[in-house]
Amino acid sequence: MSAPAIRPESIDNKLYLHATGDWRLSQLDTQQPQLPAAPRAETNYLDGAEITSLDTSGALMLLKLLYDRDIPPDSVVLNNFSNAHQTIFELVRQNFSASQQRQPAARHRTLARIGRNAGSVGEHLIGMINFIGILTLEVGNLLRHPLRFRIKELANQVETIFVYALPLAFAMMFLLGLVFAYLLGIQAEQYGANIFVVDGSALAICRELAPVIVAILVAGRSGAAITAQIGTMKVYEEIDAIKVLGLSPYAVLVLPRILALLIALPLLVFVGDIAGLFGSMVIADQQLSVTPITFINRLQQVLETKTVVIGLIKAPVFAVFIGTIACYMGFTVARDARSIGINTTSTVVQSIVAVILINAIFAIILVKLGI
Amino acid sequence: MTDMLIKVEQIVTRFGKNTVHDGVSMEVARGEVVAVIGGSGTGKSVLLKEIIGLLRPESGRIHLFGVDMLTADEADLEQVRQRFGMLFQDGALFSSLNVEQNVATPLLEHTHLPKAVCLQLARLKLAMVGLPPSAANQMPSELSGGMRKRAALARALALDPELLCLDEPTSGLDPISARAFDHLIRTLADNLGLTILLITHDLNTLLSIIDRAVVLSGSKVLGSGTVAEIRQINDPWLHEYFSSCTTLETAHGN
Repeated sequence: MSAPAIRPESIDNKLYLHATGDWRLSQLDTQQPQLPAAPRAETNYLDGAEITSLDTSGALMLLKLLYDRDIPPDSVVLNNFSNAHQTIFELVRQNFSASQQRQPAARHRTLARIGRNAGSVGEHLIGMINFIGILTLEVGNLLRHPLRFRIKELANQVETIFVYALPLAFAMMFLLGLVFAYLLGIQAEQYGANIFVVDGSALAICRELAPVIVAILVAGRSGAAITAQIGTMKVYEEIDAIKVLGLSPYAVLVLPRILALLIALPLLVFVGDIAGLFGSMVIADQQLSVTPITFINRLQQVLETKTVVIGLIKAPVFAVFIGTIACYMGFTVARDARSIGINTTSTVVQSIVAVILINAIFAIILVKLGI
Repeated sequence: MTDMLIKVEQIVTRFGKNTVHDGVSMEVARGEVVAVIGGSGTGKSVLLKEIIGLLRPESGRIHLFGVDMLTADEADLEQVRQRFGMLFQDGALFSSLNVEQNVATPLLEHTHLPKAVCLQLARLKLAMVGLPPSAANQMPSELSGGMRKRAALARALALDPELLCLDEPTSGLDPISARAFDHLIRTLADNLGLTILLITHDLNTLLSIIDRAVVLSGSKVLGSGTVAEIRQINDPWLHEYFSSCTTLETAHGN
């Protein structure tokens, strides 16, 4: 292996360039040869007799050295090149101009970017409304032909969304109930109001914490799964295959998932209620000397049915939003791997924002109604 | 002695109870264009993945550029990996990078050249495989199947490899693009002195650009040689395979 080099020689207004050594990528990596200054000439000759090996990268480097000296690559006459080297050199020379012109990447100015983003948000909203419209029609269709409903798919979805989420929902709400009652207990203890921890925990857990936390859990767990699954199906043209079979992808894929969420989320919230109260009960017994019997008695007095019902009523609303967002984002996946990731992230973000917003709206409405 | 780039000896591969290769041996000399053919499930792609070190056979030996792929350490493998290019069946372009960046990636990772030079080399490769300059800034998802294959070929050529491995280069292309792609491969092989190992089902590819073919059948090598030599082998699958070729030739004759 010898280092690549190039040496100019001027004879009678002709410039001879002698290239020597290995003009290979592996050699050029460590050192890039320079072309020593030489007077300009009418005709330029490139002598390749001493080139020991040449690849396309080497040929490009050679041409670039000439090009940077304002020697047009097309005008260079090749001397003493071996056949193999000449073919490579000619191939690169043909394509040299393409390698030098950089296609300017489209510039994104702030204002244009804001405009484009606003446009895509608008498109997204319109698409979503369209999607809800299609779903409504599908529900109408299904009501007329109830036998077409995919009951097995529904059962599968309920299993993945509800049954497999049970341990996680229980554990999360148990710990949350524990921490909440503990912190509340520290305050209540100062006033000797230990028993009121039951009131506070019951209200907070059943009305706010369980529905919101469980909905966020489901949005992250099942919402993301739905988008990724439907998105992958779209990439592999499974959705088109469903359409070609004369089936509606909405009836086959979307409605069972939304319905499964509708069933699973209230159930999970109820489990969350119990887990949270159980956590509070444990900490109340340990920290505040409120025995489980006292805790349950007090719970019976202060926990109104309405509180639990309000929490449970929110759940199906969250479920519809999570399901619709997740399915819609799945359907809007473009045909590449990156887009699945983007849409899945977007599903989780949108669902969580939706859950928190709806929860706030519920709170305002319920306060205004005096419930 | 001829310089053997690929030397596969007595490969045995099993997936569970399913024996894919049972004593497969083959060789590829420098400068050859060799095709591996065989029915579905005869382990063509598995063999290719074993040769380039993506899969490990149960026993046997594989030498690539004289390096024993099964016992070599990471440093040697790293050296070997820069000496061959691989074109995957669906291109396997990185979907988060545009075409130019895709092709420049091997250069940026394995050389110390300035980024501008890497991008120039990438655009040279794109022009060599016949892509228009406007394709450089497009994302892989915006390209047609044929363009995607060409871009993937440009990436496989980025480091000026000595060996090019192609997994079904013409699958999913229309006949015209497929022939153009065949022609491109052969031109590059001749001009750049490449050695090519390819897997194919495409009879046209076999008849037009191949020096030698290796037939895999029943987890063994059935035979190897020029297309004319292979047609002499008495095997039901090969007969059926080449009978469609006879129709093709008749059609051409008409």
